Amino acid sequence: MRSIWVVLKKEYLTRVKNRTFIVMTFLAPVLIALFYGGAIYFATVGAEDHSQKNVYFNAPHWELESDELSFETYTFLPALNSTSEMLQQIENGKASGWLQINDKDLRSLDSTELVGGSTFSVTELQKLNTHIKTRVHEYLLKQAGISESTLRLTEVSGGIKSLEIDQTGSIANSNTNLKSAVGFAMAMIIYMFIFIYGSMVMRSAMEEKTNRIVEVIVSSVRPFDLMLGKILGVALVGLTQFFAWIFLSILLLGGLTFAFSSGGNPVPAEAQNMPIHEFIEGFNTLPFTNIILVFVLFFLGGYLLYSSIFAAIGAAVNQETDVQQFMLPVSLPLVFGFIIAQSVVFQSPNGQLAQIFSMIPFTSPIVMAVRAPFDVPLSEIIASFVLLMVTFLFMVWLSAKIYRVGVLMYGKKPSWKDLWRWVRQS
Amino acid sequence: MLKVSHVYKYFDDQCVNNDICLELREGEIFGLLGPNGAGKTTLMRMLATVTSPDRGEILLNGEPLTYKHVPLIGYMPEERGLYRKMSVVDQLLYFAELKGLSRSMAKIHVKKWLQRLDIIHWADKKMEELSKGMAQKIQFISTILHEPKFLILDEPFSGFDPVNADMVKDLIIELKNAGTTILFSTHRMDNVEELCHRLAIIHEGHKVLDGSISEVRQSHFRNEYDLSFAEAVVLPAHFNRAPGDSNSSNSLRVTLTENQTDKDLLDWAYGTQQLKSFGAYLPTMHEIFISKVSKQ
Repeated sequence: MRSIWVVLKKEYLTRVKNRTFIVMTFLAPVLIALFYGGAIYFATVGAEDHSQKNVYFNAPHWELESDELSFETYTFLPALNSTSEMLQQIENGKASGWLQINDKDLRSLDSTELVGGSTFSVTELQKLNTHIKTRVHEYLLKQAGISESTLRLTEVSGGIKSLEIDQTGSIANSNTNLKSAVGFAMAMIIYMFIFIYGSMVMRSAMEEKTNRIVEVIVSSVRPFDLMLGKILGVALVGLTQFFAWIFLSILLLGGLTFAFSSGGNPVPAEAQNMPIHEFIEGFNTLPFTNIILVFVLFFLGGYLLYSSIFAAIGAAVNQETDVQQFMLPVSLPLVFGFIIAQSVVFQSPNGQLAQIFSMIPFTSPIVMAVRAPFDVPLSEIIASFVLLMVTFLFMVWLSAKIYRVGVLMYGKKPSWKDLWRWVRQS
Repeated sequence: MLKVSHVYKYFDDQCVNNDICLELREGEIFGLLGPNGAGKTTLMRMLATVTSPDRGEILLNGEPLTYKHVPLIGYMPEERGLYRKMSVVDQLLYFAELKGLSRSMAKIHVKKWLQRLDIIHWADKKMEELSKGMAQKIQFISTILHEPKFLILDEPFSGFDPVNADMVKDLIIELKNAGTTILFSTHRMDNVEELCHRLAIIHEGHKVLDGSISEVRQSHFRNEYDLSFAEAVVLPAHFNRAPGDSNSSNSLRVTLTENQTDKDLLDWAYGTQQLKSFGAYLPTMHEIFISKVSKQ
């Protein structure tokens, strides 16, 4: 016990005192905020082209003045008589394109062409397409004798609202989309945590081997204690960073919200009817105790199990480049967990397949996290967690064996067969 | 103090230690000799609890060796290294704590040794900032910091520069005087004759010899005598020059045959009236080592 503590303390303190760690802890939330902020900004505002676009328009079978079509930054001009002159104008940049609708029957726009099309982006083409089709549709309706007022009368809005019976037996709002989003967000965090900090454990074991420290270490402490100390020490590092990030993000978000709200932009009334409002309302109906319980248990459990495997890989290989061969099979179950989560959990979150894969310790951290918002029975959560912890302890024991023999083997790259031999040998 | 009885260790099907028996007495320096690949490191690893024997028994102070004995043992492997990113003092404290010292005791010991070797000003330096020679000093300190009763040093002089090698030698003698039992492996015979009370030679996994240096040399007496004369003499034909003879006519090394006695040789030498010295020649450890290792 004492040596686990000594190892844990060392692994924790050397990392937390590291300058890169401190800088990253403070910088990461800012970088992530900048990254997403930038991405959202460029996606919505920055990339849009605000320049005026002149498009020549000719549709012999559609009685329409070209300027009636104009919208946003697009101005439609009647086509010129001389084709070569039009092409000249497009080439000179005076006009952006020439839209020619040759179809007799406007219900199928098969002979509709846009010359100069390559100067339009995919979004612009989509926009044009939708616009023209809508206008043609309106025109056809009018032709069929349906007035605009009739059209308004037959418009359908809203949609199916999903409700569920909550723990108290009363009917409450349920939001399947929100639940899936929360589940996947948790699974993503677990996945990232496993890889970032699991590989830290791996590098720690590898460092001792490549720097030839390991023999002294193994003569001073049981490999099992060493492994456990390393895994727990790095877990604490991860948690420290994790909570620091949450704390900093809240500060940052709070600051941003304050900055925006003091700008005097009250939420417009119509926004309250938007789906986002429903989204937030659905939040209150989430089974929070379940979600938090599952997240904490499987966040830690998943990390513990996988980092014990990573530690063994670190002990087995001689250099970073040999890691790849072992990394792939180890990360496969997690990726598989996501596939299962996507295909099965979406269709029936409490179905048999979902149940099975949330019991298997190698996939349970991901699958259980995705299932968590969908009322998983407590007995299942506990059973799965116990299974996960038992597997973890077994893996630490196994990894310690590989570590003990693996650390003394230098030279040739180990194979899976070697690993098995080491396990039996020690 | 330490008793190794009938220890076997296999790697795959290869027997690396074959029926090894050794006994170390309290407070002695014991040399473990053998060519590369003889199985010295494998044996030392078992004594340092890094691995365990496949068969046989190792007793420390009469008890089977386990992790419980870690605080009593200091081990410096041949493959050695330190954490590059850690400071000297953090590193030493970590090793001391792993060996069972309390934090406060560890601090006292670290300070003592850094002062002792006059390197207290390195305390906060990271290992990667230190030269190789400096790192070697730290390595040795980390091995003896917890004042082990039993010290195992695998090739302690290899990889050390001459200054540090001398420092290690002095420290070994000092630790022995303080009562530490020391086992070290080497292939430098001068170190063996200078430091060891007793020794063992291992070859291809077998122990081929052990005992005190004088015992071993006595037992390998090959009927050879060294003689020196004031002036050149001519050796009678019935006496044979020994293989190590210098070929000078003033000093001779002679091997006696079975029916010659030392008295026969002495009588002749005395008769020349030039004799300055006469003595039995005991083979050096180097010669014994070579003969043991090449004969097998």
